Amino acid sequence: MNAPFSAQRRYTRSAGIKDTFGDFTCLNCGNLVPANSLLSGVRNRNHCPYCLSSRHLDLYEPGDRLSACKERMAPLGLALKHSSSRYAGHTAGIPAATGQGELMLVHVCQGCGKLSANRIAADDDSSRLWAVFEGQARLDLARLGALNASGITLLGAPQTALVQVRLFGRN
Amino acid sequence: MHVSFQPPTLFEGVVTKKISGAYTVAAEGHNQTCTVAASLRSHALADSIVIGDVVRCNTAGQIQEVLPRRNQIARRAALSMPGAYAHPQVLAANLDQVVPVIAAADPKPSWNLLDRYLVSAESAEIPALVCITKGDLVASEPQGEEIEQVAAEYRAIGYRVIITSALDGSGVQALQQALRGRLSLLVGKSGVGKTSLLNALLPNLGLRVQAVSRAMGKGRHTTTHQEIFSLPDGGALIDTPGLREFGLWDVDGEDLAWCFPEMRPLLGQCRFRLDCQHDEEPGCAIRRAVNAGQISPYRYQSYLKLRAEA
Repeated sequence: MNAPFSAQRRYTRSAGIKDTFGDFTCLNCGNLVPANSLLSGVRNRNHCPYCLSSRHLDLYEPGDRLSACKERMAPLGLALKHSSSRYAGHTAGIPAATGQGELMLVHVCQGCGKLSANRIAADDDSSRLWAVFEGQARLDLARLGALNASGITLLGAPQTALVQVRLFGRN
Repeated sequence: MHVSFQPPTLFEGVVTKKISGAYTVAAEGHNQTCTVAASLRSHALADSIVIGDVVRCNTAGQIQEVLPRRNQIARRAALSMPGAYAHPQVLAANLDQVVPVIAAADPKPSWNLLDRYLVSAESAEIPALVCITKGDLVASEPQGEEIEQVAAEYRAIGYRVIITSALDGSGVQALQQALRGRLSLLVGKSGVGKTSLLNALLPNLGLRVQAVSRAMGKGRHTTTHQEIFSLPDGGALIDTPGLREFGLWDVDGEDLAWCFPEMRPLLGQCRFRLDCQHDEEPGCAIRRAVNAGQISPYRYQSYLKLRAEA
């Protein structure tokens, strides 16, 4: 039997991968979200800065827009990118955590359950991000197992100070 | 009393070549160059006599009548200016097969364009045979694997795909067999190697070909007219000038999914039945099949792109 198309090696269509697909209306809260990178600090805006919801549009890699699922993706928790970048690194005075890269927002698709970790944008609502961080303590075992299987490690209580500094600064 | 006189009809033939207002009509083993009769010139059909048309000519070598077509392939004609009246351009008529030609490299393959050709052929209910040329350019390159993947994808849908090389002759024999006994139309953008393929199939033809422009990476529009070439094993092949654009014509947005054979069995199974646009609607059977890996996500994106245009 042939492998399903989604499992086959991907190839590049003529349009290729785009950084931005323009402004959009949030599927969850209905707010208009500007995609201008001057506001968000990211080139590929993939979630709403007000409610942090996203939409399952990418299949193989960010920006390919090949997914047919198109369902809402809910924020699930916070994680750290495995590789550090110029935007983040070891924070002095804070215990080292797994990976010392940028803070990432983990989404789960409400339709198919796909997990994805996305860069946090400059204009994301920090208090909502904090609420997501607090809420991840209530995740069930099945969800935690799926996260582990995907290689995503959510930040836990030991990293509270780190998250606090990253979201709100030192003071 | 008005008496009209028409010279007696002498022969019925097939239009095999068209250059400006001159048509070569093949009938009973010989070719004759014909023009359009004055009585037909005022008729809308006069402008659209195309290769493959069966016509009736008089003794003066004038086309008097175009017989009804069995089928035709048309595209949206390139507009002279934005907002100009959109009209169809019929490429050929009475075909047995459409052969979309895509180069494996140089120029870079455009799979969405291939889907356009295939949808157009499906809409006209003409079988299609996909030909990927210049296979030698990617034989030992990583792109070769990609080409095989794409070919497998189209074969899984049910299309016959032949990878050829006019340079080393690979795939030419398989193509020869697939063309036998049929009138086939070669379509593809400039520089993909349609005429080189024809030269490989008919080595004595010696048609003029040119390499893709190094500066622009595009074909040079070497073939400037359409012509039918008879194949030695029976059948014939229509060579066409390269098409830079291929806007769909006569394909209704509502019927577009039908032109994707892999989607056809799922039509009517969506929550909104035949009203489903297969885009945002909940309970869409086609999106479900894409998510399950039964329909290629690339083909689905082609569908959405063409749907937005229709």
